[in-house]
Amino acid sequence: MGLDPADRLLGIAGWIVRPLVYAGLCIPAVIIVAASFTAGDALRFPPEGLSLRWYEAALSSGPFMNSLWTSVKLACLATIGALSLGLSAAMALDRYRFRGREAIRNLTLSPLVVPMVVLGIALLQFLAWMKLNQTFIGLLAGHVLITLPYVVRTLSASLVLFDRSIEQAAANLRAPPWRVLRLVTLPILLPAIASATVFAFVTSFGNVTLSIFLGTSKATTLPVQIFTYVEQNYDPVLAAVSALVIMVTLAMIVIIEKLVGVEKVA
Amino acid sequence: MVAHASQVETAGARTRLLFLLLPLVVFLFIFLVLPMLGLLRTSFLPGERAFAATGFSVEQYVKFLGDGYYLGVLAETIGFGLASGIVSLLIGFPVGYSLARLPPSKRRWRLIIVILPLTLSLVVVVFGWLVLLGRNGLVNSVLVGLGLFESPQRLLFNRAAVLVVLVQQFLPFMILSVMSVVTQISPALEQAAANLHANRLTTFRRVILPLAMPGILSGLTLVFILSASAFITPRLIGGAKVQMVGSLVFEQVTAILNWPFGSAMAFVLLVLTLAVTIGANAALARMFISRGITRGA
Repeated sequence: MGLDPADRLLGIAGWIVRPLVYAGLCIPAVIIVAASFTAGDALRFPPEGLSLRWYEAALSSGPFMNSLWTSVKLACLATIGALSLGLSAAMALDRYRFRGREAIRNLTLSPLVVPMVVLGIALLQFLAWMKLNQTFIGLLAGHVLITLPYVVRTLSASLVLFDRSIEQAAANLRAPPWRVLRLVTLPILLPAIASATVFAFVTSFGNVTLSIFLGTSKATTLPVQIFTYVEQNYDPVLAAVSALVIMVTLAMIVIIEKLVGVEKVA
Repeated sequence: MVAHASQVETAGARTRLLFLLLPLVVFLFIFLVLPMLGLLRTSFLPGERAFAATGFSVEQYVKFLGDGYYLGVLAETIGFGLASGIVSLLIGFPVGYSLARLPPSKRRWRLIIVILPLTLSLVVVVFGWLVLLGRNGLVNSVLVGLGLFESPQRLLFNRAAVLVVLVQQFLPFMILSVMSVVTQISPALEQAAANLHANRLTTFRRVILPLAMPGILSGLTLVFILSASAFITPRLIGGAKVQMVGSLVFEQVTAILNWPFGSAMAFVLLVLTLAVTIGANAALARMFISRGITRGA
């Protein structure tokens, strides 16, 4: 049976395709990290020598460090916003049956499938009408909007598997509702909340497609800063900055993996 | 007494529901529904400026759908979506399938590699490709080093490069949706097929493929939508030669400041992606119904 030529062909194809796919998926990140350690003045392969000079240059660059700070602040606030709106909404969507439930769920998840360029210009125009364009508040609202779907989806998946008899047991033991919530419900949901937090943070931190429309002249996010830089020229400073972004992102994924396993997020 | 208690319970439940859901609904109404309605309104404005414009006209849509150049860009956008979806399926399926069949311990690092491009900032990924495919990049060094070319080639600013980068960005969605659906297909089915002397190709065609169809379809839909909506990638990797609807919208709104036309193009793009989403959902629903019937019979 193993001698079937079709089977053998299929097996060989798999052996070739799979390593190539894994290599292709990580090659842009690997290339940037490798290039960032160059001692030379240009981004080229193979890099000329090894040094940390471009990291020094990146860390002392005003525009990059300011935008890094903006991005971190924005991602933290957007995550808090998305979690506070999303956690209660996910609970409501899971535990109550009411008219419009599916509509609200679809609306919440829609930023995943609405093209970001459409969402971007719609928000830009609306914020301009509200006199909120070029403000941090406007940018923050946009980021809450795009991180919400991840939060609601992750929490909903976890709530479906939630065993409510544990809550009922606590209630039977005369725990008041808020104590049930604090001592039973939230601790059980904690892994899901943690992975929603990390995912929301990473989504906001890396976003360029929305921020490019809502960005303010005073506070540019790091991905937008990288975009404007790339459009003009690219040099090893950019590789060092990008390598920092890669390391932060990778660290976040590893945190999720340790907390709940990456499979849950996917 | 019991009826009375449940009555109070219902009223209490309604208050709690309102309390839990109202913030989200208000937020979505202000920052999603209103902006989209506003954009729809702008797309029906006449002229080239939204500022202080009034009236209602379909001239922007006529301009877009009646012009060969714009229709060409729309066709190219759909083409990129389709090509990216099909390539992702061809190379993503074997990966998603093998991930589903691997023991969890071996899966971990492979999954991290798959998820990295999804979570990593798009500009960083694109920048990586610019470095990789640039004149002094790794690919050119290898090509020249192997003696295939005398001098470095121009690998950027063409359609093939855009397609490669789009596939690399969105392939993870295909891998993950194939993986999640194959995980639910019992390996016993494959063993049963093998016992009936089906080779792996037949097993794949008659057993795996039909059962994995929902995952394949949702992967295709996602990759299509995301690729067709791209505007950063065509701009940076494709340069002036590759135009997609997303990059036209970006240009109209940020550089030319023609909001009515930009909004109309944005809505054409939105309708395209919505139509694909709704079509795929309908196909998925049909699949489940027909499967339910066969199982019942």
